[in-house]
Formats: sequence, structure tokens, C-alpha cells
Amino acid sequence: MALLEVQGISSSYGEVQILWDASLELERGRLTALVGSNGAGKTTLLRTVMGLLKASQGSIRFDGRDVTHVSPHGKAAEGIVLVPEGRQLFPSMSVYENLEMGAFTKRARGNFQANLGRVYDMLPRLKERAGQRAGTLSGGEQQMLAVGRGLMAQPEILMFDELSLGLAPFLVLNLFEVLQRLKEEGLTMLLVEQNVQMALAVSEYGYVLAEGRVELEGPSRELARNEHVREAYLGI
Amino acid sequence: MLVPSLMDGLLLGFVYGIAAMGLSLIWGVMDVINLAHGPIIALGMFGIYLGFTGLGLNPYLMLILVIGGGLLLGVLIYWVAVHRVINAPHLSTLLATFAVNMIIIGIATAIFTTSPRNVDFNLGGFPVGPITLPWTRILAALASVLVTALLYLFLYQTRPGKAIRAVSDNRAAAELMGIPTSWILALAFGLGTMLAAISGGLISTFFPFTILAGSSYELKSFVICVLGGLGNPLGALIGGLLLGALEGIIPAFMETSWVPVLEFVLFVLILLVRPQGLLGSKT
Ligand SMILES: Nc1ncnc2c1ncn2[C@@H]1O[C@H](COP(=O)(O)OP(=O)(O)OP(=O)(O)O)[C@@H](O)[C@H]1O
Ligand SMILES: [Mg+2]
Repeated sequence: MALLEVQGISSSYGEVQILWDASLELERGRLTALVGSNGAGKTTLLRTVMGLLKASQGSIRFDGRDVTHVSPHGKAAEGIVLVPEGRQLFPSMSVYENLEMGAFTKRARGNFQANLGRVYDMLPRLKERAGQRAGTLSGGEQQMLAVGRGLMAQPEILMFDELSLGLAPFLVLNLFEVLQRLKEEGLTMLLVEQNVQMALAVSEYGYVLAEGRVELEGPSRELARNEHVREAYLGI
Repeated sequence: MLVPSLMDGLLLGFVYGIAAMGLSLIWGVMDVINLAHGPIIALGMFGIYLGFTGLGLNPYLMLILVIGGGLLLGVLIYWVAVHRVINAPHLSTLLATFAVNMIIIGIATAIFTTSPRNVDFNLGGFPVGPITLPWTRILAALASVLVTALLYLFLYQTRPGKAIRAVSDNRAAAELMGIPTSWILALAFGLGTMLAAISGGLISTFFPFTILAGSSYELKSFVICVLGGLGNPLGALIGGLLLGALEGIIPAFMETSWVPVLEFVLFVLILLVRPQGLLGSKT
């Protein structure tokens, strides 16, 4: 049984339906990729999974339990954590306070020191900048903080929305190393990326979303060889 | 003549400051202008009055009950009136808190009538050189400073306090991090009304009042928020001191009845020239 089972969910912004009967499964300990072009509905899917947006249809099961109607903070308390698109930090609070807020839930609070050590170890920049206001960090540092804050939440499932967007290549590499390490530790992850090539290279399984529907799915290696994917997303 | 009046005004300014801080906190955290602010100030006055005349309780002891009551009342108002419309346009939240304003005034007028009351409580004066400052005002100012300091400690050193700041920065992100944002908003609303109730309670120890008295203090709170910049607690305290000083100085030059007029001229001028507030930063 997959750790997270999303079954045929649909959702809308007002009258406009964006997501159509989308299903996806996150296997335990696996890094799954979700790719698609701009406006395909990737962020909408993640927002619906978290409960920020109401699913008009379908169900979401976590570890076998129905969590479709659990609030976003309730999902975080269960260990379903999203590193949102556009960082979404707490800009007036310090780097350290942002990490503290990441560890707000009961499950994360007990492991605060251990997780903080781990985050500082993986993203040493955050340690140097601990006292600085998050709003004054550089874009790359902000993305590191968003990742660090997500890790502080002691996730069972960690989902990243546009991890690499707008970052310098060496920073992207840096963050993918972190991803690699988390994968080795056995964390279940979902990577949403516009950088399709990179996403399919690091993941084991992938989904292609187009116009709010899951168009294709399969082992990432196969997707990367797929004619359609190569033409539409890899520009080959 | 000017010096004692200025001193009086400054001491009063601290109390105005925490009233404005309540308004400013709610605005800063959830972008809601609480139009029930005035009646809650009046309820703080009546809390002290009832404790003092009804039960013979010391006003400062009674203030502890007013603090708890103000917090609970605010949490209740949030859940009953504000929560449903928290994501709606500003007009909806204005109407919701205005409705609460009318309900409180209606019920309280039915119970207490609008006749003037006062808390007949006197601690004498404290001589400073040639002038004497009433102890009730000194204590009110000290209490206001203490309340401000405790609010800062709460917001910057405790988990729920930091959660309030996180929610104020980015509500959706706070929710994603497992913070129950609706409860945090309710708490912030409770703290805002608590500050209003405390200021009312402190004012009642030296000024007479009616159940409608809150509205003039509510207006002062708006002026102060504009002076100090909305959403900035320390700015509210400084704005309060400015307004208090002004109220102390003006009567030396003209009739006291001119005070509110000048206050609102100032209000409009600042809005025209520096809409982010005299001390507020540009955003
Ligand atoms: N708040 C909103 N209100 C109305 N429509 C929205 C809203 N957010 C997104 N949309 C629309 O929903 C569609 C899907 O958007 P979404 O953000 O999910 O795409 P995406 O796959 O994440 O794209 P990108 O790769 O650019 O991040 C788009 O057509 C977008 O315009
Ligand atoms: Mg997106």
C-alpha cells in the first residue's frame, strides 16, 4: 500500500475547474516526480492534497486512513508537509524563528534540537544567517530556508513545489544533493518541477500533468525515453 | 499651568497607547478594523465600576478580571462574528464588527442606561516639585508600560506569540506548518480586545464615563494608529504619548472643546501627507 493515495480528485477556483479526476500514489521511501508545463495544475494539485483548496471529488488516503477532509494544519500534524511554491517564508521573523515555526507541531517539537542540527548540517548557510530576518535573505538562501523549515516539521512525506525555480545552477545542485541524502534516509518525497529533465533524472517514478489531468505515469527512466515527453517537455 | 497639564496628558497618553495597540494588533494580524473597539473600552470601564461599587473590590484587583474577561470576549467575538467573513472583502469585516458594536451598546444601554458613572476612588497625589500628579494616573501609566512590555515578551518569546507573528506574516504558510491559524487569529483578536478593556478599566479610575464613552476613545485610537502606523504596537504607544501631550498642551491656548477638532484635523492631515503613519515605514 502506498503511503499517500490520491484518488480521482477534482478542484476549482470559484467556477473554474482546474483539476480533473487526478490520481497519484506516493510509495513509501520513494522519490516521485510530478511534471508538466506552466499552468498545468501542479500547484493546484498540491494545494488540494494539503487541503488549502477543497476537493470537490475524490479522496486522499494517508497510511491507509482517509484524510480528505483534514485541515492543512491537521495534515502537517500527521507529517504531510509541503514546501510551497515561492518560498512563503515568514519575512519579518528571523531564520531561526522560521525554523522554530517549522517545528510547531507536536510530532516535530520533541525532535527540535536533533532536526535543527541536521538542517544546519545540510544547509550550513542557515546557521550563519540564523539571526537575520528571513525577508532580507537572498533568493537562494530563502529557498534553503523554505526547505529547512519543511525538514524541521519532521515530515513523513515531504513535497516540494518548484524547488529549483530561479536558482543559480550550483544552488540547484546543492539542493538536489540534499534531496539525494533525504532519499537515502528513506524519506517519501514528491518533487514538482518545471525542470523536467532534472526531475526525471533524480526520481524513481513520475507523473505528467497536462491541463489538470494526469496524462502519463510510469518509472521515470521510461518517461524520460517517451517520445511524447521528449517532444513536449524536454524539447528534444 | 502648562507643565502640570502636559504631565497629565503624557500619563494619559500611555493609556491611550494601549487602547490603540489593541486596534493596531488586530489590524496587523488579520487586516480587520475592529469597530467594536469603543464599546469594549466602555465594558472595561463598567467592569471596574461594577467590581468597585457592587462588590467593593479594589479597581486594580478587579482589573485582573477585566483582563480575563476582555480576552475571552474577544475570542468569542472572533468566532461568532469575524471568522466567517475573515477572507471576505474589508466591507464585510467592517459590517461584522459594527454589528457587534451595536449589539454591545444595545444590550449594555438596556442594562446600565446612559447615565454617567464614576469610580469614586482616590489614592491622593504624588508631588513632583511644584506640581502634584494623581496616583491613579501614575499607576495607569505604569500599568500601560507593563502591559506593553508583557505583550512584547509574549509576541517575541513564547510559542503562541511567535505563531501570531507567523500568521500575520503569511497565514497560508503558517497553516502548512501545522499552526491552527483560526485559533491563532481568535487569540490575537482576544488580545486586541483585552488591551481595549484594560485601557477602559484604567481610565475609569480617574474619569467619569457612560456606556457610550468608548466611542471617543475609539476615535482617539484611530488617530493614534495613524500617528504611529497601523500594525505596529510600539508605534501605538508612541502615538498615544504624542496625542496625550497634545491634549495636555492645547487647553493652555484655547478652549478644551477644541481638542477633538484639532485631533481630527491632524488625523486628516497625516492621512493626506503620510498615509503610512507618522512613524510607520513605507510599504
Ligand atoms: N488563485 C487562483 N484563482 C484562479 N485561477 C487560478 C488560481 N491559481 C491558479 N489558477 C489557474 O489554475 C491553473 C493551474 O495553475 P497552477 O498554479 O496549478 O499551475 P502550475 O502547474 O503549478 O504552473 P507553474 O508551473 O507555472 O507553477 C492556471 O490556469 C492558473 O491560471
Ligand atoms: Mg506551480
